[in-house]
Amino acid sequence: MYRIRHYIRPEQIREFSLIFIIMLAVLFFGTQIDGYYSARTFNRIAASVAIITVLAAGQTLVILTRNIDLSIGSIVGFASYFAGQQLSANQDMHPLIAVGIAIGFGALLGSVNGLLVVYGRVPSIIVTLGTLAIYRGVLVDYAQAKTITTDMMPTWLVDLPRVNLFTVGEIEIRVMVGVAVLVVIAFQLCLTYLLLGRRLYAIGSNPDAARVAGLPARRIVLLAYILCGALAGLGGFMFLVRFGTITVSAGVGLELSAVAAAVVGGVNIFGGAGTMFGALFGAVVIGTLEQSLLRMPNVSEFVRDALLGLFILLAVASDAVILQQLRSLWARWAREARETPAAHSEKESGHAS
Amino acid sequence: MQPILKLENISKAFPGVKALDHVEFELFPGEVHALLGENGAGKSTLIKIMTGIYQPDSGQILLDGHPIKIGNSAQAQGYGIAAIYQEPLVFPDLNVAENIFIGHRVKGAFVDWRKMYREADDILARLGVSLDARSQARGLTLAQQQTVEIAKALSLNARVLIMDEPTASLSAHEVEQLFNLTRVLRERGVAILFISHRMDEIFEIADRVTVFRDGQQISSKPIAEITRDGVIQDMVGRKLESFFARNEHEQGELMLSVRNLGKRGIFSDINFDIHRGEVLGFAGLVGAGRTDVGLALFGVEPADSGEIILKGSQQQIRSPEQAQALGIAYVTEDRRQLGLTLPMSIAANISLPSLRKYLSAVGIIRRKAEQATAENYRQRLSIRTPSIWQEAGKLSGGNQQKVVLSKWLNTEPQLLILDEPTRGIDVGAKAEVHHIIDQLAGQGMGIMLISSDLPEVLAMSDRILVMREGQQMGIFNREEATQEVVINAAMGQSRSDVKV
Amino acid sequence: MPPSFKWDSLKRWETLLAVVLAVVVIFNISQSSVFLRVDNLVNLFMLHIEKIIVVLIMTLIIINGEIDLSVASVMGLGACVVANLYERGVSMEAAILVGLGVGALCGIINGFWVAYVRLPSLAVTLAGLIAYHGIAEMLVEDRSIGNFPDWFNQLGQKALIGPLPLSLVIFFILFIIFAAVLHFSAFGRYVFVIGNNREAARYSGVRVRQVKMMLYIMSGVIASLAGILFAARLGAVRASTAEGFELDIITVVLLGGVSIFGGKGTLAGVGLSIMLVLCLRNGMNLLSITGNTQSTVIGVLLIFSVLIPNLTQDFQGFWNRRRMIAK
Repeated sequence: MYRIRHYIRPEQIREFSLIFIIMLAVLFFGTQIDGYYSARTFNRIAASVAIITVLAAGQTLVILTRNIDLSIGSIVGFASYFAGQQLSANQDMHPLIAVGIAIGFGALLGSVNGLLVVYGRVPSIIVTLGTLAIYRGVLVDYAQAKTITTDMMPTWLVDLPRVNLFTVGEIEIRVMVGVAVLVVIAFQLCLTYLLLGRRLYAIGSNPDAARVAGLPARRIVLLAYILCGALAGLGGFMFLVRFGTITVSAGVGLELSAVAAAVVGGVNIFGGAGTMFGALFGAVVIGTLEQSLLRMPNVSEFVRDALLGLFILLAVASDAVILQQLRSLWARWAREARETPAAHSEKESGHAS
Repeated sequence: MQPILKLENISKAFPGVKALDHVEFELFPGEVHALLGENGAGKSTLIKIMTGIYQPDSGQILLDGHPIKIGNSAQAQGYGIAAIYQEPLVFPDLNVAENIFIGHRVKGAFVDWRKMYREADDILARLGVSLDARSQARGLTLAQQQTVEIAKALSLNARVLIMDEPTASLSAHEVEQLFNLTRVLRERGVAILFISHRMDEIFEIADRVTVFRDGQQISSKPIAEITRDGVIQDMVGRKLESFFARNEHEQGELMLSVRNLGKRGIFSDINFDIHRGEVLGFAGLVGAGRTDVGLALFGVEPADSGEIILKGSQQQIRSPEQAQALGIAYVTEDRRQLGLTLPMSIAANISLPSLRKYLSAVGIIRRKAEQATAENYRQRLSIRTPSIWQEAGKLSGGNQQKVVLSKWLNTEPQLLILDEPTRGIDVGAKAEVHHIIDQLAGQGMGIMLISSDLPEVLAMSDRILVMREGQQMGIFNREEATQEVVINAAMGQSRSDVKV
Repeated sequence: MPPSFKWDSLKRWETLLAVVLAVVVIFNISQSSVFLRVDNLVNLFMLHIEKIIVVLIMTLIIINGEIDLSVASVMGLGACVVANLYERGVSMEAAILVGLGVGALCGIINGFWVAYVRLPSLAVTLAGLIAYHGIAEMLVEDRSIGNFPDWFNQLGQKALIGPLPLSLVIFFILFIIFAAVLHFSAFGRYVFVIGNNREAARYSGVRVRQVKMMLYIMSGVIASLAGILFAARLGAVRASTAEGFELDIITVVLLGGVSIFGGKGTLAGVGLSIMLVLCLRNGMNLLSITGNTQSTVIGVLLIFSVLIPNLTQDFQGFWNRRRMIAK
């Protein structure tokens, strides 16, 4: 039993529990909603989850370093508007260039946040509260009340939301979902296998130790903000693809959904712990609840937010209560393993052979 | 033989203090060099200069005879200078192997987990410790965390290892293991700078001893040429006995009885009485559970078994405000973090626990009364400050401690718990604090004096309770309590940890 | 004589605010001859009166080292509860009482998790923001509820004392009470001590949890009150009432020199910051600058309020080093 603690960490148990919750939720909704188990349900949930997932991935990078980015709702809006505007002006622009414009624009806005946090030493919550207002305000002035509409877009973009990557039975995996999953896997690999990724954890885990160990904390935090901005830019492009119509209020409030997904997904709001898969699961939980509650008979569509808030609170509370319990259990196992050296060394050798 | 690291003529001043005054210091390969001195003697400034946290105002640092400039801790690492501290700086969310290698300058951008675990296992094996490279740092004990830091230093091929009070929070068994590691490193030619306040440890592990006082190097001799008394005299600059004096007091009636007090996993079966006018000393190593008993009596971390009988009636103390209402005061060992609110004024700090006394009928704080109290204590305890409206954070350690004492004396306690009341304050202020303790006992206050400063406990206490690893080892009368008796009780009969 | 505030910090930030305020006021006077007229000044306050009422309690919460992101949702919920009950035939007076009670309940929920379970207030009140807004949506759905009794609608506009409407009177009374409580009472002292160092406060016998709980309950009740006043002023309630106000409210508090890390700030500074933001918005209105550019300017101000002192410090350090090397 003792050895388990080396390979599964309390945080991982917490993440796995989300899968369990998702399964429970799906089973529950299946009994309540007619025809719930259908490709339509899946696509509807997946489309809403995809954007939140990409944003939550970026938010996770920043939260890992013990910071926060509350401005991404405005970055999404600005990037989607800007990309949409460029596309309507140049109809034959290469799709990849259009995506690149959105990502680059997001990264630019993210780097402003990062520079202010890192070199201006302004607390991240102040910086991003400020830029949340600033980016939105500048967007409104920039847009001059003009709206980007679907008919201004090239046809490939209008068709994109319905393009399938591949089909599993009845379920069609659309491009947007593919992008979101790709982002999660790519960044999870980076977090696991890049030195940079591990240092992201280190900085959030113990900033003092990071300074003493000589880690380039400033540059890493700046990078986290740039990546978060870039992912918000990508999210903006996905927003453009999904809705086609972009007003100046596009993406309002998405920062809260992204933070919520990350927190529900077990990303520690004080930094140092959390994974991309956690953020993905968090987004799926929220998306499933949102979209399923919409279709529940006898339940007002307006109950959604109330339940969502409750759920976030429970997630945070479970972090505090359950995770503490698990951790102390792990620590006790470690202690007991030490205090019975004979049994321990037996296990050691048993493991080695 | 050429020293690895040589500090020449180093000076460093802070506003109002000359922390280091033309200091010379050498570290040779394969030696354990003990650095001794009272708090404020300049030890920590020296370490910070060697690790690049501070820059010296003048003088130079030579590595293998070449002058170098250590601009930050990353550069220090580059020169092969590593440090471990009393509170190890580990990353709790990362595992052992990552903690060892996270700061390495590596060529690739990728983490090869297999290789990292292999190398970590290798280093840990070379150190002869059984620590799993895959376990998370969060669950490790302090001793294990230090081991991780030593492994980190070894992995960086450190040639100079600074150990700043590494044993302060370790059990005797863990200290022994740490010394074994230290000997391994010494044989590998690492120069070790070892700082400790425990004389026994110095004689056990050190090859050479350097003493600092008031920012100057007083002496530097091989271990064979020094004696315990000589070193202490070098440290304090005068004979030891001169600054403790206790007046004889009449002991009053029984005030506090503690019976079978326990807290799971921390301490158990604690039994003692304190009478009016009595000072009960608590001796033992750091981590023996003395502070935890104090915290239990003050309700910060309530005990979960046993009885506390205060003036004849049994009490369940669940919170500090309750303890305070019962006439208990607790002067914490961590005065900067827990004792004071540093950005607030001296007056506000003193009135805080008894703020209700200063309220007018409509609930407004009467500042004049607050001021009068603060002025009163400023005179009584001779707190040296231009104004009682000055921030508490701007005072020296000794004056801060007097503010903490004032704040609790102002609650008119009957039982005063003092936790390391003279740690980190200079000799003069220390004598003043001792004088205050003696006075308070004379006025009939019961005092529980927790101190790791053995001569202090011996001189100030009427009786001494010795704790070891959460157990009460015995209570000794003033006459029978000698340094040897107390140390033997605090350490156990032998150094090896006998588990039942 | 004991100083009544911490003059050191007051001198720096509050003076700067006052100077900037004076410049803006002079500009406004030069642009508009009616600026200093009482009805214009009343109007100035009334445009954002609900926010600045909540700013007062938010000041205490941030000085205490916490935050309450849920205030705007509680404002909306308070208004929606009142509207919903009134629609069902409950008398307006009773509905208002229930609305305030619901506000207190929201505060208790926030306070319980923050003070007793010790969860981060940012996360707790973020959840509250979403949840309370959700409950408001359940009550009002996508409708707009109006047709309130005349006396209620007049509460929002009609001058009550001299030229001052009820909500402005409430603001001034609360300002005086909060200034007294924060700077001169034991409770205020505890708020500061806890904000500086929660553990030190606990070790001094301060009832940390009760103080925090109290603050959140006050926050809930005041936010709900402000929401109800907002409903009275607008004459109609939607689920989206007061949505997004939390950012404006927090901005004003931080601009007033209150440290986001707690333990530092004065109500005088927040008062100046309220005036500054109101006058600035008025001045920009005079220049016909739209609402969005106005929020941009406020956002820039917020960041600069922390950035400038930091940069000055850096510059001073750089200058000192240069001087030392020169010597």
